[in-house]
Amino acid sequence: MDKRVVTLVGLIALLSTMWFGGAAPTHQAGPVRATAAPTILGFPAATELEAKTAQAAFNAADKGKPDPAWKGKKFTIAVYSAGQRGAISGPLYFWRNKFTELTGATYDIVEIPFAELREKIYSDFTTSAYKYDVIINCSNWYGDAIANDWIQPIDKYFNEPRMPKWDRASIAPAVANLMKWGEHWYGTNNDHDAQVLYYRRDILSDPKWQAQFKQEMGRDMPVAMDTWEDVLEIAKFFNRKDWNGDGKPDNGISLHLKVGGQGFFHFMALSAPYVVTPYLGQPPTKVTKYHNVYWFDPETMEPLINSPGHVRALETLIALSKAGSPAMWGWSLGEAWADFLSGKSVLVFSWGDVGSLAEDPTQSKIAGKLGARGIPGTKQPYDLEKKQFLNLSKPNMVGNQVGCSWHPVLSKFAKNPDLAYYFMAWQATPPINHWNVYMGWTGVDPGTTYDWFPPAGKATIDEYVAGGYKADDAKSFIGAFTDNFYRYPIFQNYIRIPGTPEMMEVWDVHLSEAVTGQVSPKEALDRTYQDWQKIIDNIGRAKLLKLYQQSIGYTK
Amino acid sequence: MKAMAHKERIKFFFVIPGILWVLIFTIFPLLYSLRLSFFQARLGQDQTFIGMGNFQGAFSDYRFWNSLSITVFFVVVSVSLTVLLGLGLALLFNRPRRGLRFFRSSFVLPIFTAPIALGYLGLTIFHEDVGAVNVALRMLGVVNPPGWFHQVWAARLAITLVDVWQWTSFCFLVLLAGLQNLPEELYEAAQLDTSSGWGIFRHITLPLLAPVLFTVTILRLVETLKVLDIPFSMTSGGPGAATQTYSFYVYLVGLRNFNAGYASALAYILLLIMLFISSFFFNRLRAIYD
Repeated sequence: MDKRVVTLVGLIALLSTMWFGGAAPTHQAGPVRATAAPTILGFPAATELEAKTAQAAFNAADKGKPDPAWKGKKFTIAVYSAGQRGAISGPLYFWRNKFTELTGATYDIVEIPFAELREKIYSDFTTSAYKYDVIINCSNWYGDAIANDWIQPIDKYFNEPRMPKWDRASIAPAVANLMKWGEHWYGTNNDHDAQVLYYRRDILSDPKWQAQFKQEMGRDMPVAMDTWEDVLEIAKFFNRKDWNGDGKPDNGISLHLKVGGQGFFHFMALSAPYVVTPYLGQPPTKVTKYHNVYWFDPETMEPLINSPGHVRALETLIALSKAGSPAMWGWSLGEAWADFLSGKSVLVFSWGDVGSLAEDPTQSKIAGKLGARGIPGTKQPYDLEKKQFLNLSKPNMVGNQVGCSWHPVLSKFAKNPDLAYYFMAWQATPPINHWNVYMGWTGVDPGTTYDWFPPAGKATIDEYVAGGYKADDAKSFIGAFTDNFYRYPIFQNYIRIPGTPEMMEVWDVHLSEAVTGQVSPKEALDRTYQDWQKIIDNIGRAKLLKLYQQSIGYTK
Repeated sequence: MKAMAHKERIKFFFVIPGILWVLIFTIFPLLYSLRLSFFQARLGQDQTFIGMGNFQGAFSDYRFWNSLSITVFFVVVSVSLTVLLGLGLALLFNRPRRGLRFFRSSFVLPIFTAPIALGYLGLTIFHEDVGAVNVALRMLGVVNPPGWFHQVWAARLAITLVDVWQWTSFCFLVLLAGLQNLPEELYEAAQLDTSSGWGIFRHITLPLLAPVLFTVTILRLVETLKVLDIPFSMTSGGPGAATQTYSFYVYLVGLRNFNAGYASALAYILLLIMLFISSFFFNRLRAIYD
């Protein structure tokens, strides 16, 4: 063959390989099939203890009566991409062999990067592709899913003998509400997101640092950190001091607000006590035009997002940002966590993942040193009715269920809905769900009575120690979550009306503008207000108002 | 005669797949999105005709102007740098030297990398704590190196530099091919009149290379006007919306927020801008040839 022809063909082949290789998506969006990975007791477990405890959970879980007709069937689950041992997606891989053992059926797992997850799932429905039978859903997508009739209620399965029984009454009410819409259940129990404040127990309880704090600040260190003002003071005190003894200055607090990095969720948790105030009659949780509201005026749908309370909270966040690494506004979630877990900052506030990761020796240097408490409050909340800041003797404490609380929902177009629901219910059974919670790597955060220690629940320290926790860390971590879900007098309501993700997107951008000094906190929130007004008008104010009132339980 | 007619007909048969391809994948989406741009069309809502509403909305949307101004900055800096650096490298390598083939091959490698992968690479290179750039700057004694992801202009510069790194080699390759096609005799004649390298470059190389330069510039302009992958993966458009380029904004409106009507209008505005720029350049090119 002519040498030039050979060269040309070779060149074309090379270019094609490079082109198609280069143009291929960086993340695998197709189904990930079972691989012949080594297993222990049928689980792709990392240790024998992990496999044994999982087997015990498997044995204890209700299994219903799997339908023999399911043998050989398959369905597809869409989940955000975190890998075979990653948060939320990991348990799907871990339990798959056992699901096949029970039913003779299996499932494909489609991992989608977080940044593209919503658009991929929404596109799947809008284009009538219906590739996904089960979606591991972020709770704030409900509005769109319900309005477009994409998912189906699951109540009809509750008394079906084929289906495993799971304990709906054990779920923290705030999270249970996220799995329902109106009178119907749509989701099954899995993850329970909320944010709490984590701190270095060893450092804050060290008499040396407490004495130095008193000397510098003229008062005792407010170790209880009941208010954000206390947190700010402690963060400022420790910032730039070498409190971990590595010869370099360390950080007070670790934050992040890179656009797209989920930082706005953290502002949500921080700002709640500045904005949400209790109803003064009974019950204090009653939603009125001025009380127990955070997002919109429940009578007009006018956004409250630029209220003076929100502005002050953002000023607090910016003040906190000066008590940490100057680079942290360019950080994403993982980097903020890593700063705390590697022992470089005293404080961080975030989801339950931090509590679990702190115990993972491959990622953490702070196992055995972890402290946690519920999100702090403030003594100066803004009263929407009186239009002034209050001056309280006790802090205004507001619980939160900030985050996605990832849980499975069943597509209305599922090819094998019964089989798919069987899987959802089986994963929600208390032994399996609790195992997922106390094995930190799963990313499944605690939120049911069987996760709490007595008297609030029935979990034991030994279970958590078996999951790799240090006993005192587990007490503090689980205690903080129990406080948040059961002991806080009022709750920040959760937004899940249609258009929520779009509102979050613009909010995220404007918060970033404020913290990086491009605009003032007031201007950033005024911009958010204007953008939200546009979105509301675009979707339909009357329609959204009705849904919003329903979702927060507002009645005139 | 009959055989001729059959031959005439069969050639249309072979063209049909191509025509169908263009109709289905180019013309139909183009017309459909044009129609959408006159409608309020959101996910889960009935479509409503609103005439020029989406276009008018764009001109009063500060995020439209913001993304447009960021894109203009990006286009001007990136196109200038890639063309100038590409030209410099092409001149450098347009003479026999050792290892020429190796360098030429190495230089073109970035073109074959997916921009999204380059964005993630940029993320590690410009990382404010442990990225190679800031580590090097600290070694050189810079106490406070730039905050590449939280300072507005630093972030813009970072995404521009990654784009320049990828596309300089493309300009280099095309301009080198252009240089190698210039007639040797002109240079030999010029060298009899002057020994000034700059004079030869200015009066011979540059005018003769102008058509190639124009082509490279217009290709780069069109490419940079559409940039999305690098800011998407590197900065997510932040800090704030400081690196949210025009295409990024269209993507957010259309594919994240499912506001297809408004996104189509924005896409058509970009198309008009591109047509205007292309016409300008082609007119200039025609003038040079004339």
